[in-house]
Amino acid sequence: MIIPLLKVTNLSKSYDNIVGCKNISMSLYPGEVLGIVGESGSGKTTLINCLSGNLEPDRGKIIFNINNKKTDFLNISESEKRKFIRTDLAFVHQNPRDGLRLNVSAGGNIGEKLMSVGYRHYGNIRSLATKWINKVEIDKSRIDDLPITFSGGMLQRLQIAKNLITSPNVIFMDEPTGGLDVSVQARVLDLIRSLVNELNLTVIIVSHDLAVIRLLADKMIVMKNGTVIESGLSDQVLEDPQQEYTQLLVSSVLHV
Amino acid sequence: MRKTNNVIKIKDFKVDKGLPFDQEYNFAYLDENTKKMIRRAIIKALCIPGYQVPFASREMPMPYGWGTGGVQVTASCLTKRDTLKIIDQGADDTTNAVSIRNFFKKTSNIKTTEITEKATLIQTRHRIPETPLKKKQIFVYQVPIPEPLAFLEPKVSETIKMHSLSEYGAMHVKLYEDISKNGHIETAYAYPVKTNDRYIMDPSPIPKFDNPKMNNSPAIQLFGAGREQRIYAIPPYTKVKSLDFEDYPFDPFKAEHACDICGSKNTYLDEIIVDDAGNKSFICSDTDFCNKRKNK
Ligand SMILES: Nc1ncnc2c1ncn2[C@@H]1O[C@H](COP(=O)(O)OP(=O)(O)O)[C@@H](O)[C@H]1O
Ligand SMILES: [Mg+2]
Ligand SMILES: [Zn+2]
Repeated sequence: MIIPLLKVTNLSKSYDNIVGCKNISMSLYPGEVLGIVGESGSGKTTLINCLSGNLEPDRGKIIFNINNKKTDFLNISESEKRKFIRTDLAFVHQNPRDGLRLNVSAGGNIGEKLMSVGYRHYGNIRSLATKWINKVEIDKSRIDDLPITFSGGMLQRLQIAKNLITSPNVIFMDEPTGGLDVSVQARVLDLIRSLVNELNLTVIIVSHDLAVIRLLADKMIVMKNGTVIESGLSDQVLEDPQQEYTQLLVSSVLHV
Repeated sequence: MRKTNNVIKIKDFKVDKGLPFDQEYNFAYLDENTKKMIRRAIIKALCIPGYQVPFASREMPMPYGWGTGGVQVTASCLTKRDTLKIIDQGADDTTNAVSIRNFFKKTSNIKTTEITEKATLIQTRHRIPETPLKKKQIFVYQVPIPEPLAFLEPKVSETIKMHSLSEYGAMHVKLYEDISKNGHIETAYAYPVKTNDRYIMDPSPIPKFDNPKMNNSPAIQLFGAGREQRIYAIPPYTKVKSLDFEDYPFDPFKAEHACDICGSKNTYLDEIIVDDAGNKSFICSDTDFCNKRKNK
């Protein structure tokens, strides 16, 4: 029996009396890509922020099971939690500026992730950073340039490199192409897809764009008003949506 | 001929050298309750080496940036039996040092000295004396920016968390950037250290040449930041290690010159332009050390 890498039970989070997400249960297995879809305000960001430790939920359970080590995410000390987030999780923000230091060079940004998990050899940090700059299709001559000199697409690729360099066990992405010009979205998506395949990454990706989910996700959940209204294999849900709301979502995309 | 670029001239705070002890002030200017509060902060700081203790900084009769933090720490430690030495950039005769010395002469009537070994309390800006500090001496640093993580993380709530959880990986980013830009660690002042294997600490803008002197020193080292309202400390015989990379070890760096006055080869030197042709001279920044050596 395969143990889920992440198991979520009855997770809820409200903002005063506004529902963020309610009674969410789900599981994620190693190497899976889970897509979260739903209209704006349906609770996608709230959910992914709770799962990644950016937000404290009101109720529920989050259990990670990584390399046969169980972590009860909501019942560990803050220092254990921050260490777990640092070493085992990664978060790609919609706006790359939220995930990068703009006054630190590209190489320094990527290198920081390594230094935060204990790397203290400049040469090793430098060569790993160079390798990853290349991997996300940024010319390695740009390694010492400041991110402000980068285009939006490059910034997002840099943020991805920064997040993947330490080989995290779960990668969260909140609308990773949402803030990009349509012309560069495809390239970033393509990059994510090839990295997911090459490295067999486990990913939870939020998007309101069903095309993104179709391309990347093995499984998906559909959210509405903070709850999950439909879930399953992406192919199935997209081919044969059961809920009226999902049918509407799918058909509206197909009409475009 | 001494370097004067860092010396600020003040007019409104000038105490004549000859002025007698002014009885109208409480001993060492601060009232006893304030001193008590500051001493508590100092004791806490000594118990947690390198940890920044907040304190309620008082208005001093001098502007921030003039060492108000150091002055308050000194005032709180001073007793009638103390002999005080004040240095600025290693020199006892610069305006800043003279003003602070006169301030304490006027408000506390204590003995002062320029000789490092004779002082029981030394307040400094930007240097540690060449003469090794010894047991029972108190050494007070004036600190402009106490938070070594400030350049990385502007939010104080976050830097406090980073300290409390020892999340210091990002500290090496600055050194990484230095090496990438310059081929070596360029940071020459305020070079960050780890104190007692625990807290990362800003040693104030002393040259990194002085960093090794903080390690395992027999003296009590106190740091006061007036504007930022922080006090931190290194108790005697505490490990103080400068941050570095395995392949770029800390290098205290020293100019390849001997002092043109006293001939010392292992002291921190100021570079001085001596004529219009741009000729340079190198002399000890520690005036007391240089004078003594020259006269030997
Ligand atoms: N910080 C917040 N304070 C109050 N309400 C919030 C906050 N963040 C989100 N919400 C509300 O929670 C609900 C879910 O929002 P969110 O998780 O951002 O949805 P999505 O990412 O799907 O657009 C919305 O009604 C939103 O207005
Ligand atoms: Mg959102
Ligand atoms: Zn000399």
